[in-house]
Order: sequence, then C-alpha cells, then structure tokens
Amino acid sequence: MIERRSIFKEVAVHGALIVGALAMIIPFVWMVSTSFKLPKEIFVFPPTWIPSEPTIKNYVDLFRNLDFARPFLNTVIVSGSITFLSVLFSSMAGYAFAKFRFRGRDALFMLILATIMVPGQMTIIPVFLMLRHLGLINTYSGLIIPAMVSAFNVFFMRQFIITIPDDLLEAAKMDGAREGFLYFKIILPLSGPALSTIAIFTFTGSWNSFLWPLIIAQDERMYTLPVAISVLAGQYGENIAIQMAGSCIVIAPILVFFIFAQRYFIKGISLTGMKF
Amino acid sequence: MKRLAIVVLICTILLLSAAVGATTIRIWAMGEEAKSLHIIAEKFMEENPGVKIEVQAIPWAGAYDKLLTGIAAGQLPDIAQMGTTWMAPFGAMGAFEEVSGYVERSEIVDPEKFFEGSWQTAVTEAGILGIPWYVDVRVMYYRSDLLEEVGYDSAPQTWDELYDAGTKLTARGPQQAGISLLFTGTFANEFMPFAWQNDASILDEEGNITVTAPEFIEAIEYYSQLFWDDIALKAGGELIHDFGTGAVPIFFSGPWMVRMIQNQLPQIEGKWGIALMPASESHTSFVGGSNWVIFRASRNKEMAWKFVEFMSTPDIQLEWYRIVSSLPAVVDAWDFPELADDPVISVFGEQLTESRATPNIPQWGQIEQAISRRVEEAIFGTKSPEKAAQDLHNDIERVLRRQK
Amino acid sequence: MKTRFVWILVFIGPALAAMFIFLIIPIFASFLLSVTDFNVFSLTDWSRANYVGIDNFRDLLSDPLFWRSLLNTVYCLVVAMPLTVMISLGIAMLINRERTLFKGLFRVIYFLPFVTNTVAIAVVWGWILNMHYGLLNWFLGLFGISGPNWLGDPTFAMPSIIMLVVWKAIGYNMILFMAGLQNIPDFLYEAAELDGASSWQKFIHITLPMLRPTMLFVTTMMIIGYLQLFEEPYMLTGGGPLNSTLSVVLYLYRQGFRFFELGYASAIAVALFLIIITITLVRMRLTRHSY
Repeated sequence: MIERRSIFKEVAVHGALIVGALAMIIPFVWMVSTSFKLPKEIFVFPPTWIPSEPTIKNYVDLFRNLDFARPFLNTVIVSGSITFLSVLFSSMAGYAFAKFRFRGRDALFMLILATIMVPGQMTIIPVFLMLRHLGLINTYSGLIIPAMVSAFNVFFMRQFIITIPDDLLEAAKMDGAREGFLYFKIILPLSGPALSTIAIFTFTGSWNSFLWPLIIAQDERMYTLPVAISVLAGQYGENIAIQMAGSCIVIAPILVFFIFAQRYFIKGISLTGMKF
Repeated sequence: MKRLAIVVLICTILLLSAAVGATTIRIWAMGEEAKSLHIIAEKFMEENPGVKIEVQAIPWAGAYDKLLTGIAAGQLPDIAQMGTTWMAPFGAMGAFEEVSGYVERSEIVDPEKFFEGSWQTAVTEAGILGIPWYVDVRVMYYRSDLLEEVGYDSAPQTWDELYDAGTKLTARGPQQAGISLLFTGTFANEFMPFAWQNDASILDEEGNITVTAPEFIEAIEYYSQLFWDDIALKAGGELIHDFGTGAVPIFFSGPWMVRMIQNQLPQIEGKWGIALMPASESHTSFVGGSNWVIFRASRNKEMAWKFVEFMSTPDIQLEWYRIVSSLPAVVDAWDFPELADDPVISVFGEQLTESRATPNIPQWGQIEQAISRRVEEAIFGTKSPEKAAQDLHNDIERVLRRQK
Repeated sequence: MKTRFVWILVFIGPALAAMFIFLIIPIFASFLLSVTDFNVFSLTDWSRANYVGIDNFRDLLSDPLFWRSLLNTVYCLVVAMPLTVMISLGIAMLINRERTLFKGLFRVIYFLPFVTNTVAIAVVWGWILNMHYGLLNWFLGLFGISGPNWLGDPTFAMPSIIMLVVWKAIGYNMILFMAGLQNIPDFLYEAAELDGASSWQKFIHITLPMLRPTMLFVTTMMIIGYLQLFEEPYMLTGGGPLNSTLSVVLYLYRQGFRFFELGYASAIAVALFLIIITITLVRMRLTRHSY
C-alpha cells in the first residue's frame, strides 16, 4: 500500500519536473533547430522541430566570415579572469564584512549594498571617462577590472559566511591562527556552494556581456565572442538562422562550464551538528 | 646661422617622417557591410600609397551607445558611418567636422550630384556635417497574384485605391489582412510618409508647429482607419512569412527586403513586385541610409576627406552596390545599366526623386517618440485624431521649449 | 575584539578600491547631474550645463509618462516576485529530493534560460507569442482557447513580459535556493520524521525557517532587480503598446541615451533609487517582525 503510494508520488513529482523542463527547453530547442535550417524553412507553420533539410551552412558562414579563434580566446581570458578575481575579492570582502569587527563596517556595507539599487545604465559614461583617464581603453585590464567589481557578489558572500559559526573561528584563533589562515583553511572550504554559485553567475554574465566589451574595444582584435558574432547578425535581423547559430556558439561553452561547476553544488557541505 | 641650420634640420625630419610614416585612417562602420568595406579600402590604399585604412566593424545593436560614450570621452576614430537619422543628435554635440569648406574646394563632391532628400540628411543647423554614402528608401511591396484576384492588375497607386484593395484583401477570410503597418514602438518613419503624401509636415519653414493642420489630422485618420477596419493588424507578425503565405500581401519597406524575399521566399518568385508609395497629393516616401562623417578631433582630416571623396565617385558607388547591393546616393551612378535597366531597382531610383528626410534637428528623437505615441493612441481609439494631433502639438512645443 | 587594521586592509582593500573607482564615484557623479540641465549640448562642453536646483524633480512629478512607467514596474514586481519564488523554490525542492532521478539533467535544463543570450531569446519569444503563428496560442488552441494578441494588446503585453522575466529568473533563483537547501542539516528532518511530521509540516517548520537567510536574500535581490526591469521590454515591445510595458529604467534609458537629457535621466535614477531603498528597507523590517 505504502509502496504504491510512493510510486504514485514519484510519478507525480517527475511528471511535474518534466512539464516544467519542457517549458524551459522549448524556446531553446527551437533556437537550436532554427540554427540548422535553410532560410526558406524558418517561418514554416506549424513549426518543424527537426529541419526537413538540415544544413550546417549557418555555422559554416559564421566560421568562414569570423576569425573565430581571437574573439574566443579573448572571451576565455576576460571571463576567466573576471570570474577568478571577482570570486577571490568578493569572498575576502564578504568574510571581512561578516566576521571582522571594526568601526564603520555596517555603514560601509550599506553603501555597497546601496550601489545595487542604482540602474547600471547611469554609470556607463562616468566609468568610460574613468577608464580613459586610467589609460585602460582597448586593454584586457579595461575589460576585466570594471567588470570584476560586483556589489552583488560581496553581499552574497557576506550573507553566506555570516552563517558559519563563530565558535569554529574562535577555536582556531585560540590555537594562534591568523585571519589569512582562517580564510584559506576554514572559510573557503566551507563556502563551496556559495563560491560555485557566484562563479557561475559571474562567468555567465561576463561571457554574455555585450555592451561593455564593444564600448571598450577600439579595434576588432579586442572583440569578444558576442560582439564579433553580432557584427554578422545583420542590421535588420534579416538572418534569424545565423543569429541563432551565433547564440548557440556563445552558449555552448557556458553549458560545459555549468555542467562542470554544478558538481560542487551536489557535494555541498555536510556540517552536521552546526548551528545556523 | 647655427639656429637656421637647426630649424632646417627639424623641418627636414618632419617632412621625411610625414612622407615615410604611413598615415592611418581609422573608420567605424556598422554591421555586416563593414565586413566588406575592406575591399574598397584596399583600392583606396593602392591609389594612395602610404595611407593605411583601418576599419572597425561595429554591430548595429550597440552602435548608438558606442558613439555616445565615444563622443563623451573624446575617444573617436577619424571617420564614421552615420545613420542619417543620427546626424542631428550627434551633430548637436559638436563632434563632427563642418565640411562646407571641403565641399567648395572639391571637384568630386557637389550637392547637385546627390539626391536632394539624401543630401538634406547631412545638413543641419550647424552646417554640412557629412556626405551621403548610400540611401535607403521605402517603397510598396505587393503580391501581384493576390491583388489580381481582387481586381487589381497593378499596384494601388492612390490612398483610395490602397484602402479599397486593402478592404478586398481583408475580406478574403479570417486571418487575412491587407497591409502590414507598424502601430507601436517608434514608428514615425513608417507614419511620416503618409503625412508628407498629404502635404502635411511637422514644422513649417519658419519653425512653427503644423501638426494641427487638417492635412496632418487627415493623415492620422487615414493611417488609423486602416487599423480600425482591420485592414492592418495590431499584431507584430513575421513580415516575410506573412508575405509568403499571402496573409499580408502589402507592406512598405526599404531595399534590403528585396534580397530577403528572393532568398527566403523562392516559392513566390514572379508573384510579387514593388511600386511607388501610394499618393494622396504626392507619392512621397522616407529616405534614409548612411552618411560619412569626419570627426573634429581627427588629425588626418585632409586624408579622411580624400577617402570620403573617393567613396562618392560614381564608379566606387557602383562597385559598392555590386558588393552589398546598397543603393547609390550619387545620382550619376544610377545611369549605369545595371541599375537603370533592373526592373526592381529602378523603382527605387524613381522613388528617390520623390522622397524626404525627417527634420534634422537634435530634438527629433523626442518628437519622433511623441508622434509614435499620439498616433498609437489614435489607432487604439483612446483619442480622436483631432485630439491626438492637439496633444502632439503640445508635446512638440514642450520639447522645443525644453531644449533651447 | 577589534580586527587588526592590516587585515581589514588586505581583505577589503582590493574590492573596495575597485568599487570606489568604478561604482561609487560614478554613481555620485551621475547623481550630481540630477540638479543640472545636462543635455545634448553639454556632452562635449560641460560648461554649457547649468545648475537648475530641483527643476528636474518637479518636472518628473508632473510627467504622466514617469508615473505610468512606475505603475508598470510595480505591477511587474508584484506579479513576478511571488511567481518566481514559488516556482523556483518548488523546483529546487523537487530536484533536491533524494529519490529524484536525473537531478543533474534537470538542473541543467532549468538553468538553460539564464545562460541564453537575451537578444536571441527575445527573437524566439517574439515568435512564440505571435498571435497567429505563435506556439503559445497554438497550444492554447488545443484546449479550445483562442489566445490573445499577446504583445499587441495593452492588457496582455505586461503579462507577456512577466512570463519572459519569470522564465529567465527561475534557473537563477533555483540555484540560490538549492545552495540554501544544501545548508539545512539532514538530522533536523530525521528528527521531525521520528516525531511523525508530515511533509507539509516539515516544509513549514523546518525548510522555510531554515531558508530564511536565502529567502531574504532572494526576495531582496528580486525587489531590486525587478524594479530595474529593462531588457525584456526593451527587446520585446520597446515599451508599447500604449506605453503599457514602459518601465522606469526603459524610460530613463530613453531620456538619457536616446534624447541625451542626462540631467533629467539622473533625476529618474535618483527617484528610482529612493523608491527601491524604501521598499527594500520595508521588506527587511517586515522580516524582523514576522519571525
């Protein structure tokens, strides 16, 4: 009896997940499928999920007209550096805001929190002027440094680290450990899910980033993948198939990254016996 | 004596370095066509040894913001391709070189050699700020087979005919419409031709606002009527697809559509055509396209001008047409049989002689937004055409007063 | 015990320095513009901008489009936030269950919308929402429902935008909730089971309270994020029809980056900032009292 009920429950749960997954995946499937279509098939209705004459022409066109290696490499360098630096500095600052005691800590933290509430559009021009004065236009540093600043990440890490029990840190301090040691030996190992979460968000955001790389690049050798591909996407959105192929190329590496990174969520932390 | 020797020496060094060191001209150009510009640039470099042209291709999607930040920070190339409707706002920032002096001295560039509507896009209050490169002009695309079924052997030529044909095409059945027209977003470029066709305008020559004139109200009413009677649908369709199935057999668009229809709808070959815009008083259409501008901060203005001149010669204009099929802004280029004898392309040539650009004032962005908003209200019936025109008048007045 | 200054400097220094240069100073600079008439003519010649006091704010209060955009934005927040929380928490819990199969696969699928390039996906959505040929209305048609003109009807345009917003936000918030769920120690559930608690009781008495930090974080970020709604209406509707999807940030962008009324745009930014901070503080205060 119990057995049957639990089978029914499992079917219901998985059924719900599958229905939801379909809703998530359908636009994406259409995107992939369109990227393999010839122009004449794009608007066929009812839509064909599997192209009747699948073609790799759109991809070939992109690869032929695009010096693919350079923008790809740029994007890897830029997104990789942004993610690494942002995760490092945000977790350090988050640790300090969560566990250090000093005057003005909460005020400073509120100031950082408040910056999230200002629409990013407002800072485009001042930041660009700033970069010009620092001589960072058309450099990797110019692409990386402003983007690694993330109030969200600091906020997120602080909220997470605050849940790590003080007792743990105090005990280590008794043994004479310094803050640097605590950070590497206690904070970082216990922050696995939080670190991988902001790593994924930061990487995804910087990988897809379009406007900043475009504004900062003064020649095409500094273009990142989304910028390079959108040059070919066309003024009037005329070639939707190429646009979709371009998006697929941009998305594929993030998926690989995500599949790799999500393993760290599963591990999680088994801090049984800790108070929160 | 010694001092003179030093001066001579310095002069010689300067001269030599100018001759030996290559001049680099940096260009910002937009979209896919920028990817083909190097073909022409190489020709120029052959003719001008010692000059190097560097083209940076900028996606249309972010071009506006890139220009804005570039101008704000003074981080600019020597030359840029500029959408004609962008001339006034960016021109007002004072970033473009005023080129009337160059034009006077030039043997190649002469206002008379360009289509008038196109040349006007380069002229603002601040003078001549650019030179036309290529033009886009809107014409009527129609399905000849479907129009024939409702009794039209050729495209509708007047407002009345267009309305009549639209009604009959809509009556074909459910989900069948007559005309595709924009009704939301910024669609002043789609609406304004109707105002011009009816002899209406936004501003008269003294700068008075003229949108409450009966001609203008009539244009709003005609445009809205097409929606009220379901001849045009308030639904964003897939233009190309709807044209292919025949659900929407008439629309107005620029030359880029020709290639798209040929590529994506081979099944309707021979069943469609293009014609002049419908006329009330005239067939006036909207002319756009791109101009060349030289930035004031450029250190190589002479050479930059030389490049702009080079792009304005009929031969190069034709060459460019061959590469990316964008329409020449230079009238003489249209005498080449490739353009003159092409039944489709020649319609654009004819339409170009009856075409206008939107007013080249820095406030146009706001006015354009106001036009779209008020006409949209008339289309949805939340305001009568008279009231919409009155509100538009007030909007424009406020805009012109604010930015003085 | 105070932390030694050198440690503070080492840990906060790098993040703070970068933040001051690229975030805090630029924000202050742009806020300063809100009391000027900085516009198209001032951009290359700053001396042409004049101090105008609170004129911009006074104009703002009597600007029907601003009020309209605020109303639209709040509408989006009020509908989209509960929807996003319920769906993404539900999915996170379902995937997190021990007996759920293909966890990894589900996680990847639900995360897909978040990684997808916005421009491309807006094209796809425009097509899905198409009145005649869209998948959505085709699907509704299977049940005999004649779907509306989603993006062309002022009543349905905002719901369409909300649909896209929620669709994109689910994967992201799901991950935050999953990270939160991972932090709930199993023994709490085990103890409750020994006491004979039902699933619902476990959810109410263990999951929700233990998720409080995550919930506070997620909802706070959502308030801040949704009130800055921009990309979806920018890509899908441009604010129309009849300004029914004009959001505050879209209006700000239009004023500042299309009309170059940077002074006025800054006033909008300041107003939005004040609204967001008020709502956020109220939200935080509520939490403190409700538990």
